[in-house]
Amino acid sequence: MNEALQGNNFYFEKAASVQPDPINPKLRTMEVIDTDFHFTPGWPIIRDYLTEPFKSRIFHYPATGLEYNPEPANEKPGVGQDTHGIAQTGADVLKVLDQFAVDTVILNPGYNRPQSIFNEPVLAAISSAHNDYLIDKVFPVSDRIRANMMVCHRDPHMAAAEIRRVGHHKQFAGVFTEFSALYEQLGNAKFDPIFDAMQQHGLVLTAHSGGFFPHFSPLWNGARTWIELFGNAPIGNCMAHLAAMIVQGLFDKYPEQKILFQEGGMWWLPDFMLRMDDFYLGSGGDIALVERKLASGERYLHKVPSEYVLSNVRFSTQPITIPKNQKHFSWLLELCHAKDLFCYSSDWPHQTLDPANWVVENPASIDEDLQKAILSGNSRKLYGNRL
Amino acid sequence: MVDYLIGAVGDIPEGMGRAFQAGRRTVAVFKSKGKFFALSNRCAHRGASLCDGELSDNGTVVRCPWHNWPYDLATGEHRLDPKEKQRSFPVRVEGDRIIISI
Repeated sequence: MNEALQGNNFYFEKAASVQPDPINPKLRTMEVIDTDFHFTPGWPIIRDYLTEPFKSRIFHYPATGLEYNPEPANEKPGVGQDTHGIAQTGADVLKVLDQFAVDTVILNPGYNRPQSIFNEPVLAAISSAHNDYLIDKVFPVSDRIRANMMVCHRDPHMAAAEIRRVGHHKQFAGVFTEFSALYEQLGNAKFDPIFDAMQQHGLVLTAHSGGFFPHFSPLWNGARTWIELFGNAPIGNCMAHLAAMIVQGLFDKYPEQKILFQEGGMWWLPDFMLRMDDFYLGSGGDIALVERKLASGERYLHKVPSEYVLSNVRFSTQPITIPKNQKHFSWLLELCHAKDLFCYSSDWPHQTLDPANWVVENPASIDEDLQKAILSGNSRKLYGNRL
Repeated sequence: MVDYLIGAVGDIPEGMGRAFQAGRRTVAVFKSKGKFFALSNRCAHRGASLCDGELSDNGTVVRCPWHNWPYDLATGEHRLDPKEKQRSFPVRVEGDRIIISI
């Protein structure tokens, strides 16, 4: 309570010095699952877990391309990838979870660029080292910690071998891959060895936006700003990967496979679903010519494209954009099937961090049931006994 | 308007912010180039504490610690869109005392 004091000619109240907790207190009364948290053990840690001959020859974390970081966009050095800290140990992770009122976390390996490592066997070896470090030192710290395993997705057979090697560990919730304009669509049949291996363990595939740097594609070569590369490009890239998954028959061959897209946006979904269905119903003939359909002899998909989104695909929420008009926000959430498809994510520790305040601070658009679905319910359904 | 005593001039280091509970409001008070400024502490974007933000632009702007939104210390206006505004409060110094009016 403020104390009343007397000044020279007036009364005033004493304002108490405080350290406000920016996290909405309601979040500490609810279950919160964070599906995107970047865990970045330093090179000395990873190197300890490398096997030979890699350990003797790789002296630094390999360069992953011509990086363009967000410092110029933020007009400040040091703002960007690790604005909010660096987590290298289980204890580091738990400290952040408590700070941001998160109960359970799914760690992602590194800063979205592991697939950009030049040499595929090196990438596969680093992936194994990262996963072994998790098993050896991080998972035992707390059952609140889960992770997406790191793999070399550019070589599906190497990725499949890694999934089979460590996929039995119950604290691996899924497999980490990246979508971008640099990588072939993850829905292409060449990636079936990955999906074959994932079937054995019931793992979710996380497809995180990545691979912006370098941007050796004609379209993004013309980009100049962070807004284009980070704000805009992932939306189109996400649509391209998702479309391939659907129309190239991924979910017909693997009907139980779940995909979690991260950082590709979501408000485009209503148009995507309508447009895909419309094109499919009139012009679906060449689906018979994709690899999986040639192998199965099927002529068409088992159902219309939009139905696969609802049955097999989920979206983590960060970086969500919120219209000021609550009615518009409600419409978007409904049109995008948020009650079933949206899984909360923070993207800690990037500058674009989304603490979960927004979920509980827009009650006109997000009622209690939807709050629970986004914060934890949809993730629990997605990951099942892996959480 | 109600006047609130924030504290002594020396309580807030140069270039820094501190949060204060003034009645029902939490206010971030900043000291920049010897002057004091007061803004509503909770960022209108996603709720971060502006008192933890860093000053930039030659000490005229505080940047939100979560998403880097830049607010003019004197007016509370976002530097790129004045419609995105933090409430600002008058600050005066009487002797050694910082006083804000809400």
